Amino acid sequence: MSSIISVSKLKKYYKVHQKEPGLGGSIRSLFKRKYYDVKAVDGVSFTIEEGELIGFIGPNGAGKTTTLKVLSGLLYPTSGEVSVLGYTPWDRKPAFQKQFSLVMGQKNQLWWDLPAIESFILNKEIYEVPNEQYKKTLDELVELLEVQDVLKVQVRKLSLGQRMKMELIAALIHSPKILFLDEPTIGLDVVMQKKMRDFIKEYNKRYNATVILTSHYMDDVKELCKRIIIIDKGKILFDGALDEIIKKFANHKLLTVVFSKKVDKEDLNDIGVVKEFEFPKAIISVKRASASLAASELLQNFPVADLNIEEPQIEDIIREVFTGRDLA
Amino acid sequence: MKKYWIVFQQSFQNEFVYRLNFILWRFRNVLRILMTYFLWHSVFSSNSNVFGYSKEQMMAYVFLVLLVTSFVMSAPSNDNVGGEISNGTLNNFLVKPISYLSYWLTRDWASKLLNMLFAVFEFSLLWFLFKPQIYFSQSPTQLLLGIFLTIISALIYFVITKLAISVAFWTPENTWGFMFIILVFMDVLAGSIFPLDLLPKSVMTFLQFTPFPYMIYYPIAILVGRVDLITALKILLQSMAMLGFWYYVVMKVWKKGLKNYAAVGI
Repeated sequence: MSSIISVSKLKKYYKVHQKEPGLGGSIRSLFKRKYYDVKAVDGVSFTIEEGELIGFIGPNGAGKTTTLKVLSGLLYPTSGEVSVLGYTPWDRKPAFQKQFSLVMGQKNQLWWDLPAIESFILNKEIYEVPNEQYKKTLDELVELLEVQDVLKVQVRKLSLGQRMKMELIAALIHSPKILFLDEPTIGLDVVMQKKMRDFIKEYNKRYNATVILTSHYMDDVKELCKRIIIIDKGKILFDGALDEIIKKFANHKLLTVVFSKKVDKEDLNDIGVVKEFEFPKAIISVKRASASLAASELLQNFPVADLNIEEPQIEDIIREVFTGRDLA
Repeated sequence: MKKYWIVFQQSFQNEFVYRLNFILWRFRNVLRILMTYFLWHSVFSSNSNVFGYSKEQMMAYVFLVLLVTSFVMSAPSNDNVGGEISNGTLNNFLVKPISYLSYWLTRDWASKLLNMLFAVFEFSLLWFLFKPQIYFSQSPTQLLLGIFLTIISALIYFVITKLAISVAFWTPENTWGFMFIILVFMDVLAGSIFPLDLLPKSVMTFLQFTPFPYMIYYPIAILVGRVDLITALKILLQSMAMLGFWYYVVMKVWKKGLKNYAAVGI
């Protein structure tokens, strides 16, 4: 395996103008504009190997999409070095563009008033896909995504889920080596989200395609990605396997207790931070190191019917990482 | 180049989706011609020669405006490019091996062809209804030159409007500002309302250094034989220089614009 994407000290700053609220502010901004720098990406480095399926996660405005846009050549970086498949993305060389695809959940590339199949035909020509390969790829994708019966329906008449599937087909018709997916499941219902995930997983496996996806939904990432990169405020907070997050960031465990008799919530505060209390159940967060001590204290001093020591949920850990709060 | 051929075909299909829109747009063009027709008709009812134009020449001018504007100014790109820049749809093209400007140029030409088909039909219908006395240039060379210039005019029109629209790269909120000004200029200075040689000579001398008269006036002037062959050739050369110059400018500006393009949505 060799690394096909390498990014080193990438920075992308935007100048954004600030407007005071109200009409007065609008008029003032006609004459004098205040600008400030948004550090969308601020010194990011990573490398990605062929065939990896990687999740970029982070809150809104963290810099995920900006990073994808730099990788796909849409944006010129402020500084830093980027190499994708040996090319500099923003040179926008056709030979490079034929090898990747960018799918943005909120932007569509299909002809709105024509059936999706027309857009596939157009993409076939744009990417200069040979006839045989086009037929084969299209058949496979249509079967995988189960859209045989709506291929010839106007795109504007498709449901959001059907449209997203079509977007994916349009993006994959030239069998790209790298797939950038920006929020591929946004706005979809749970069933459709699941189908999308299954498809992405299958596609990655079947074609050994490198997939990089951004998402707000932890489920996407948990189910799909072995490796995740957490970005916040333009910086990488974590880069590694999903389980590593727990080791690195979770300095607490959760005690889930079921009481057999009424207890006073106040008394539980001596054990740890009470996160939830609804008799007979309570969830208490305690320091990792003192988890067993806290458990035995609970057993000794309270009427305990049931007790569980658990790792915290990955969502909670990540939320804590982002907010910088420590709940234990 | 097969990709642009597909774009061409699909643009055609797309126009058919908006049939009513299209028909109404054509209707508006015919109304415009009728208004200018009747205006000149009443002017000529008391004079036989106005500003050096005979009635036949003026009517030929008015009728040709219908054909030439249908060709030169049918450009769906004007309605779409600004929006696509400001809402980020442009991104879909920038990641693909296709040129965005060529894509829109192709779509424009599809629209031009369709509009021409209708314009020819309307032209015949109006001819049949009003049976105007029309005078065209008798020289086939001159007619060919006129047709060739019309094609260049369409390209000049494309380049100038794309230049106006490129303001969207810097202020996505104000896409239409420049376009409006340019379109107003075009209406008057391109010659779709009256032949430009009605204007004082000094104005005309100045105008030939702007792209506007090349869009409508000059092609028609050549077709109706208002200018001699030598002048026609001179105009053709000027128009090519005009196209070359503005093409160069628009490419520079777009390159800069794309560099500045924030690709919308952090």
